[in-house]
Amino acid sequence: MPEKKDEELRIGVFICHCGSNIAGYLDMEALEEFTKALPHVVFVQRNLYTCSEGGINEIKKGIVEQNLNRVVVASCTPRTHEPLFRNSCAEVGLNPYLFEMVNIRDQCSWVHMQEKEDATEKAKDLIRMGVAKAALLQPQEPIMSEVTTRALVLGGGIAGMTAALALADRGYEVVIVEKQDRLGGMMNNINKLGPSMINADELVSQKIKAIDEHPKITVFTNSELAAVKGFIGKYKVDVKTGTGTKNIDIGVILVATGASVFTPKGLYGYDGKHVITQLELEEMMKKGLDPSIKNVVMIQCVGSRNEDRPYCSRICCQVAVKNAILIRDQNPEARVSILYRDMQMYGVENEEMLRTSKARGVRYINYSPENPPKVEEEKVQVYHPLLGEELELPADLVVLATPLVAREDTHDLSQLLRVSIDENGFYLEAHVKLRPLDFATDGIFLCGSARYPANVREVVAQALGAASRASIPLSKGSVVVEPIISVLANEDACRGCGLCAALCPYGALEIRETEKGRKVHVIDVACKGCGVCAATCYQHALTINSYTDDQVTAQIEAFLGG
Amino acid sequence: MSNEVLIIGGGIAGIQSSLDLADMGIKVHLVEKLPSIGGKMAQLDKTFPTNDCAI
Amino acid sequence: MLDVGRHPNINLMAYSEVQKVEGSIGAFKVTVRKKARYVEEDKCTGCGACEEKCPTVVPDAFNEELGTRKAIYAYFAQGIPSTRTIDPDHCRQLNGKKCGICKKTCQADAINFDQKDQIVELDVAAIIVAAGYDVFDPSRIPEYRYREIANVVTAIEFERLLSASGPTDGHVYRPSDIAARAKIEQLEKTLNKTTKALKRYEEKFGEASEDFYKKFQNGQFSDDEERKKWASRYEEYLGISGPLQELKKQAEGFSSAKRLAFIQCVGSRDFRFYPFCSGYCCMHSIKEAIIAHEHEPETTSAIFGMDIRAVGKGFEEYKIRGGNQSGITYVRGRVAEIMEGANHNPIVIYEDTRERKVKSQEFDMVILATACAPTKGLPDLAKVLGIELDDYGFVKTNPVSPVDTTVPGIYVCGCAESPMDVPESVAQASSAAERAAEVISLQSLNKESAVA
Repeated sequence: MPEKKDEELRIGVFICHCGSNIAGYLDMEALEEFTKALPHVVFVQRNLYTCSEGGINEIKKGIVEQNLNRVVVASCTPRTHEPLFRNSCAEVGLNPYLFEMVNIRDQCSWVHMQEKEDATEKAKDLIRMGVAKAALLQPQEPIMSEVTTRALVLGGGIAGMTAALALADRGYEVVIVEKQDRLGGMMNNINKLGPSMINADELVSQKIKAIDEHPKITVFTNSELAAVKGFIGKYKVDVKTGTGTKNIDIGVILVATGASVFTPKGLYGYDGKHVITQLELEEMMKKGLDPSIKNVVMIQCVGSRNEDRPYCSRICCQVAVKNAILIRDQNPEARVSILYRDMQMYGVENEEMLRTSKARGVRYINYSPENPPKVEEEKVQVYHPLLGEELELPADLVVLATPLVAREDTHDLSQLLRVSIDENGFYLEAHVKLRPLDFATDGIFLCGSARYPANVREVVAQALGAASRASIPLSKGSVVVEPIISVLANEDACRGCGLCAALCPYGALEIRETEKGRKVHVIDVACKGCGVCAATCYQHALTINSYTDDQVTAQIEAFLGG
Repeated sequence: MSNEVLIIGGGIAGIQSSLDLADMGIKVHLVEKLPSIGGKMAQLDKTFPTNDCAI
Repeated sequence: MLDVGRHPNINLMAYSEVQKVEGSIGAFKVTVRKKARYVEEDKCTGCGACEEKCPTVVPDAFNEELGTRKAIYAYFAQGIPSTRTIDPDHCRQLNGKKCGICKKTCQADAINFDQKDQIVELDVAAIIVAAGYDVFDPSRIPEYRYREIANVVTAIEFERLLSASGPTDGHVYRPSDIAARAKIEQLEKTLNKTTKALKRYEEKFGEASEDFYKKFQNGQFSDDEERKKWASRYEEYLGISGPLQELKKQAEGFSSAKRLAFIQCVGSRDFRFYPFCSGYCCMHSIKEAIIAHEHEPETTSAIFGMDIRAVGKGFEEYKIRGGNQSGITYVRGRVAEIMEGANHNPIVIYEDTRERKVKSQEFDMVILATACAPTKGLPDLAKVLGIELDDYGFVKTNPVSPVDTTVPGIYVCGCAESPMDVPESVAQASSAAERAAEVISLQSLNKESAVA
């Protein structure tokens, strides 16, 4: 039931012709007459274009001269025009959340072009519903919260170091938390980077030096994140270091924790000596390959693109091709064969490296997963599809390309940060296509192989990108949130069951102990107003501003009452 | 000295760069050759691997 | 996209080109030419009434010329800015003919035939090149017979056929059928005109055209000029109605394309054109095959490729799902030639490298996964900016600073740098934004320290 208000409701409705887009297909006069008769409607006007300067001025004039305290515009889609109309209300002192929009173009004139009468009836229904809701709208104020201008970077590999330096160069304080005793991550085990063949050590040393010299960066090695409290702009984190736990105020968090290499236990006779992984080969190459090695066979997709791990690990083909070239450099007599399913040498540089390797005599043999190669004592058997026969390749060294897999601590860390992981155990971004470096939870960002395997060039690009994304709240110094969010409207009804908190995709709800017992608490700046919680709450304790149960019920009743 | 940025191309890349910078409070000039921004992606029906609508 | 149009910090200059750049990092002076739209952006409400009334029909570039637009047009329906543009090459008024219908129609008074190009000067600290790419023109590969065989199309053309907002409302009609339907429509129009003319003669002379024509053929009325015209009109009628009936009969048999072939590496991994891999095309074909299957569950697709490169988050899984659920077969092999069979069906001739046999297969439609080519304007733009391009014509960068061009303060992202898919473009776009923002931050930090 609508609550009693001292103020008399005065609703103004503006009906847009949109040139002929609406007026050409609906009976506009009938709509106007109908609207005039609706409860609390004191003013109705038709405009050629409500969104034009003239139309906007009419809305403003209506609010001032007719003393309107609710405004409804029946026109096109709120996606494009709601902000404009809301601002117009605000400009003459009407709270912008006392505005309601009805879409009689997309939902009536556009989809029912041939049925003027029915389309007009539908428009009447929509306007009646919009007016019914408008009568119950409440003023709202935007939610503002300050941002601590300090970033936390989890992981001190190439991703974390690059992101940290970028943010520090922008003038923000950065804290890096690294589990190992030194920065560099997996790069510390890598020999050279393809295709430029830059020494990995050199790149790492340069970055470490820049970080050491940077006044804005603090590094904690041998450390890990122990606890996270708060929300975007106002995190309090506990970092467990060798010398005790540090409590730090943080504004944004970047996850750059990297990935691990899958160990192929029990596959192809893996023993770490004659049958090794590409990562172990990198270390071997760093020291210099044993000159007695004359025959190397590399096998791709070991432990990936199978039932256990259906994904392609993206970088293993590049790594194999690079190492094949480097083996030929170090040991020109060595024969190198790569047994592959698909050579995933996407893009410009990789394909070029593949061609180089072929010119350098690296041999490629395609195998199918139904008929995989067999590793035996100092030889590998493989079916050659072009020759149509079984080949026996001599092998002093067999190198297995194993995928990058999610780090073991991913699950725990994701719980700590209240972010999601995907079906392969990597972190899940907000949108795989359009928001690859954001988490769904505001204030937390992602880059590098923690998201999905990536080569150094890609990791650097992602790290800079994540720094860009993270710097947005830092540069603003505050976050402003639309007040259309979840609210605990009926505290007594809440039983603190936590179902809503478990389902919230943005980590915006927590269960707190209060004087009245366990109750849900809405972290307003983190809430997106999606409504999952309100729909879930069987006690009807939670509701969404501007979409309250009363308002939605009023709309439905208005529809049924017509 | 200026504190504004020019972006050439209004496809998905140019749009993303513009929005990032503009959200940081930096004034951006986005120049697009065609009558509308959107680039190649606007011509796509849906995108892999989620089959989401491209626009 | 919408956010760009609305953002107070973004000055959107569509239909514009950068002409000149001077200066260096922190202080570039840029000259931009804003082309005349002949429509005033601030007055236009985007209602589209002008477009509806415009009498001039032009092939539509956005729909890859599979459909049409008017001489006053929105580049596409949801385009931003949501204003119209007059195409000066086709507009009747701008080409000295009498028209101006759009101006009369526009109730917002936004049409301005006297609008001139505008030159805008900008001072900027940094520049980001996001110039994108061009679709490789597959007619350069003679053996694929693109443009010779109607039902051989590019991936982006196929995309428009799949799109609900495209020229076929999302029905995968074959271009040969689309052309036949257009022909039917055109013939019907002419036939209507002719029929009307015949009716006038019939009324005047009180005789059916058919009966009259028999007499005329027998030599009657040979000196009557008006009846001679009638006879020639009737011949015209016969000349149209026969083929029209034939076409209509054919059209009854038209259905959407259900046997699809996708050919990978068209122009990519090909030494004659681009030796590089374009990266996204394997996934693009898989996606199109899956969507086509969603539209028509009987659809089957064969994807011909050397390797199927599904390298990205969730891509391999998507590829397998496509094979299992969407009727896709992956064929390892390179296509040698495409021929035209009966009923405009393309026939694909290829070597199956798994079975080591040359085979041929007939399809309803063939889709070419065309290479990602450096955009045509890039060399000129590079000259204006003073940046270097790489051997393939993309913007040259440094392996450890992937968005830095050879000029400090100028950054690059997306397919102008090298072929890449959407998430990579988005990530790179943010990196370029970061680098550009660093220029501005360092300036102000230096200023602060100078003051201190």
